[in-house]
Amino acid sequence: MKSMLGLVYAFAALALLVALTACNPYLVAQSPAPPGRSARLDSVDGFWGLRYYRMEISTGVAMALTCNRNGPCEHVKVVSDNPAIVEVRPASLGVLARTYAGDAKTEAAIVVVGKAPGTAKLHLSAEEGERDVVVVVIPAPGAPGSADRPAQLPGS
Amino acid sequence: MRVVPLLLLVSGCGIGAMHQATLMGQCAADDAACSRRHPLAPIAIGARFYPEVAADMAGTSTPNLRLESAAPDVLAVEAGTLVAKHAGTSAVLISTDDGSVVDFVHVWVAPVTQISLARRDGDRLSGTIGLAVGEDLTIAPALWNGAQRLAGDADLAWSSSNDTAVTVLRDGSTDRRRIRARAPGVATLTVALGSATTSIGVEVVP
Repeated sequence: MKSMLGLVYAFAALALLVALTACNPYLVAQSPAPPGRSARLDSVDGFWGLRYYRMEISTGVAMALTCNRNGPCEHVKVVSDNPAIVEVRPASLGVLARTYAGDAKTEAAIVVVGKAPGTAKLHLSAEEGERDVVVVVIPAPGAPGSADRPAQLPGS
Repeated sequence: MRVVPLLLLVSGCGIGAMHQATLMGQCAADDAACSRRHPLAPIAIGARFYPEVAADMAGTSTPNLRLESAAPDVLAVEAGTLVAKHAGTSAVLISTDDGSVVDFVHVWVAPVTQISLARRDGDRLSGTIGLAVGEDLTIAPALWNGAQRLAGDADLAWSSSNDTAVTVLRDGSTDRRRIRARAPGVATLTVALGSATTSIGVEVVP
């Protein structure tokens, strides 16, 4: 009987974790990388689904992202733990996005800017939940510290 | 709303990554040799680019916009002008007064490897040109990186080997110069920016 109860608790915890994981917003890249520079966003998935995002961006490059979960996110706030390495700005993307309910809302967007080589973390919070983005800012080709980096595919 | 594509044909532009704003050069419509006409090209190191910003957003006229550079060591923004400092690229953020980004354009900066000279109508000058005493000729320089024409106005160094025959005059523009044939003779006109230099011969006849 005791082991059955443990099993029930385990399933409940599992369901809660799945629900919590699914309740966070998703980020989508909205702008390409310039030639020979990097600007990409990748999800880092765990057993329970999306854990956080990682971003690689070159110094001096900007990248637009939108925040969605069943439609555009509401009351988005993003902070960088090191604005000297990566800066984040609210953005006005004047387009409508459909929600699952069939209505439309203006996209919630941000712009991330690589300022100096290094690693920093962005924390996004919205009514729909929270997300972390680990951002690696890489030096531009020819800049100090760029020589030891292997050649990359364009935009990668 | 449809005015912006028309302007692109007239003067060329850099379209923002978010497709909401454009960065255009300020050029007179009939100025064929205007170096500010090429904002899609890299800006020459040491040159200034005078942009004109326009936005094309649904349901609104253009709000108050300002420019910011993501990498001021590559490309600085000084009083609304883009100033090319070092080779590379920098995003130019186009944002509203409250800091909300409306769009951005990645602008490239490149070194000048050669200079060419042209008349105001765009005809390229080379070799030796002949002028009569009292005649004026306006010359516009173009900055190049290999086969690619660069954008921006640079403060080039102009000199005449024989000021008695040919004098170089400013005409109010940063880059253009007016040369005046003053007396019969031969002169070499030299234009330089950093290590890039070009020369043409000028023969003044009575």
